[in-house]
Amino acid sequence: MSFGLEAVGLVRNFGALRAVDGVSFELQPGELLTVFGPNGAGKTTLLRMLAGVMRPDSGHVRVAGAPADVASRDWRHRVGIVSHQSLLYGQLTIEENLRFYGRLFGLDDLKTRIPERLASMGLSDRARTPVRELSRGLKQRVALARALLHDPEVVLLDEPYTGLDPHASAVLREQLASLKNGRRTVVLVTHNLKQGLELSDRVAIQVQGRFSSVTDSASLDLAELEVLYHAAVENPA
Amino acid sequence: MRAYLALVWAVTRKDLLVEFRTYERLTAMGAFAVLVGVLFNFSIDTAVVRPQDIAAALIWMTIIFGGMLGMGRTFRLEEEDGALAGILQSPIPLHALYLGKVLGNFILLSAMATLVFFVFGLFFRLSFSGNPVVLVAIVGLGVLGFVSLTTLFSAMATRSSMGESLLPVLVFPLLVPVVVYGATATDRLFAGRPVVEVGGNLRMLAAFAIIFTVAGAGLFRFVIEE
Amino acid sequence: MNEKQIQWSVGVLGALGVATVILLHWMVFFWVPTEATMGVVQRIFYIHVPAWWIAFVGFGLVGLCSAVYLWLGDERLDRAAVAGAEAGMVFTTIGLLTGPLWGRVAWGTWWEWEPRLTSALILWFIYLGYFLVRRSTANPEQGKKFAAVIGIIGVLDIPLIHVSVTWLRSLHPQAVILSAENPMNLDGSMGATIGVGLLAFSLIFASLFLARYAVAGYERELDLRDARLVGAQAVEA
Repeated sequence: MSFGLEAVGLVRNFGALRAVDGVSFELQPGELLTVFGPNGAGKTTLLRMLAGVMRPDSGHVRVAGAPADVASRDWRHRVGIVSHQSLLYGQLTIEENLRFYGRLFGLDDLKTRIPERLASMGLSDRARTPVRELSRGLKQRVALARALLHDPEVVLLDEPYTGLDPHASAVLREQLASLKNGRRTVVLVTHNLKQGLELSDRVAIQVQGRFSSVTDSASLDLAELEVLYHAAVENPA
Repeated sequence: MRAYLALVWAVTRKDLLVEFRTYERLTAMGAFAVLVGVLFNFSIDTAVVRPQDIAAALIWMTIIFGGMLGMGRTFRLEEEDGALAGILQSPIPLHALYLGKVLGNFILLSAMATLVFFVFGLFFRLSFSGNPVVLVAIVGLGVLGFVSLTTLFSAMATRSSMGESLLPVLVFPLLVPVVVYGATATDRLFAGRPVVEVGGNLRMLAAFAIIFTVAGAGLFRFVIEE
Repeated sequence: MNEKQIQWSVGVLGALGVATVILLHWMVFFWVPTEATMGVVQRIFYIHVPAWWIAFVGFGLVGLCSAVYLWLGDERLDRAAVAGAEAGMVFTTIGLLTGPLWGRVAWGTWWEWEPRLTSALILWFIYLGYFLVRRSTANPEQGKKFAAVIGIIGVLDIPLIHVSVTWLRSLHPQAVILSAENPMNLDGSMGATIGVGLLAFSLIFASLFLARYAVAGYERELDLRDARLVGAQAVEA
C-alpha cells in the first residue's frame, strides 16, 4: 500500500538562502500532519513544492505512490490547495470562479458538482455574489470549496486561519475536521497551536528549513506542544 | 485535442469575463486610441503634411503603444489574490495557459485596432479604396505577432522588479518586422495598390506570428515556473 | 579547463588578437588597394564589417547556449551565454561607434538607415534587454532563465529583423551605398583583408569570452561559498 503523500529530501534555495533544507516525511492515506514554525522557517516554500508549484532543487514528492514532479500535469487533480491568499478572481462570482477552476481540472459534471459543493459549505445563497464583496471568512470558505471541488486525495492548507474572526475560525475548524474522511491526506500549516494540534495525527515543527521534530499528536497535549515549540524555535538543532 | 482546446478557451473566457466586469483594459486602450488621434491632429500641420501620407505609420504606432497599456496587465489579475498559484497547481499544461492568454489579448487588441482605424479614418478623413479583407488579414496577423511576444514578456515583467516599464524596452526592438511589413502594407492598401503587392508582407507577418506563438508556447514554462 | 589553462588561453588569444589587429591596420592603411568608387574612406569597411559579423555571431552563440541551457539546465551553459553576450555587446558597440564615423566621411551624414547599421542598433537593444532582464528578478536563478528566453527569442527574430530592414531599404535604392557595402567582386587582397579582420576580431572575442566565462565561474563559487556560510552560521546560532 503506498503512502498518501511522501516527501523525500526536499531542498530549495533562493540564491544563497536555503529556505528548505532536506525535509522528508511519509503520510498514510487519511493522516493529517500539522506543521508549526516561526515566520521564515520555509513552511510556505515546502507547501509550494508539495503542490508542484515550485520546483525543488533536490528531492522529490510522491502522491499516492506516484511521482509528482513539476513538469508533469497528470497527478495534479489529486491535490487541492488552500493558501492564505484566496486564489480567486474578485470580479467574478463564486459560481464563476468554481466553474473556471472546475474546467481547469477537467471536470465535466459541473452543473451538479458546483451546487452540491456550495450546499455542503453553506454558500448556496451567495453563489452569484462577486468574491470581492465577501468577508474574509466567507472568502476562505470559497477557497476551500475551490480546493475540494475536484475531490482531491491530498489537501494542502497554508495558514488558512489567517485573518479569520472567532466565528469564521470555528466554521473552518468544522470544515477541516470533515476533511478527515479516512482516505484524504492533509498537510496543515498554521500558527494556531490549539487548532493545529486538535485536528492532527502528527505534528512537525519546522525551523530554518528543517523539521526539528515530528511527533504523534496522541502523545502530546497543548502545554507540552507549547514547550516543544518554544524550545525548537529558540534552539534550532 | 478537444479537451486541450477547452482548456485554452476556459482561460480566454475567464479573462474576457473579468474584462467585461470592469472594462479596465478596454477603456484604457480605447481612450488612448481616441486621445492619441486628437493629439496627432494638433501636432500635424496640415498645411505642410498630408495626414494621409503618414496615416499608416500613425495607426500602427498607436496600436503598438496602446497595446502595451493593455498587454502589460495580462498577468496582473492573477497577481492580486495569488490566483496564478491556483492555475499552476491545476492540470492545465502551461502552453495551454499561454495560448489562452494570447487569444484573450488578441481579441482585446483587435478590438482596439479596429477602433484606431475608425478614429483615425474619421479624424483625418482617410479614404480606403483597397481590399478590406486583406487589410483585416494584415492587421490581424500583425496583432497576433505583437500579442504573442508581449504576452510572454509580460509574464516576465510581472515577476521582475522592473515591472511593466521593462516591457517596451524588451518588446520594441523585436517588433521591427511587424511594424515594417504591417505599416508598408497598410500604406499600399490605403493608396489602392493591387493586392499582389502586399503578398510578401502577408507571408512575412504570418511567419512572424507563427514562429513567435510557437516559441512563446514552448518557452512560457521557463518564464512562469518558480 | 583549469584555472591556469584558462588564464594562459585568455592571454595568448588576447595577444594574438591584438597582434592580428595591428596586422589588420597595417593591411588596411598600407597594403590593400583603394576601392574604386568610394576612395580611401572605404577602408574602415575592413574594420567595422568584421565587427558586425562577430556581433551577430556572438548573439547566435548566446541563443544556442541559452537554448541548451534551458533544455539541460547545466549552469555552465548560462555562463557561456552571459560571456558571449558581454563580448558580443562590446563588438556591437564598436560597430555602432565606427559605423557612423565612416558614414560621416563617406556619406556626409552621421546616421543612415543602412541595413547593417540598423540591424546592429536593434541588436544592441536586444543585448540590453538580455542584461536588464537578468538583473531584474529577486531570485537570480529566475533571472538566468528569463535571459535565456530573451536569447532564444532574439536569435529567432534577428534574421527576420534583418530581412525586413533590408527589404524596406531596397524600396528606395541608393545604389552607390549598396554596392560599396556588398562588393560582389572582392579583389583578392580585399578578401584577404576582410579575412584578417574576421580572424583578428574572432581571436579577441574568444579571449573576452573565455575571460568572462572564467569570471562567471568564480562568481558562482563565491555564491556557493556564501550559501554554505549562511548555513553554517545558522547551525552555530
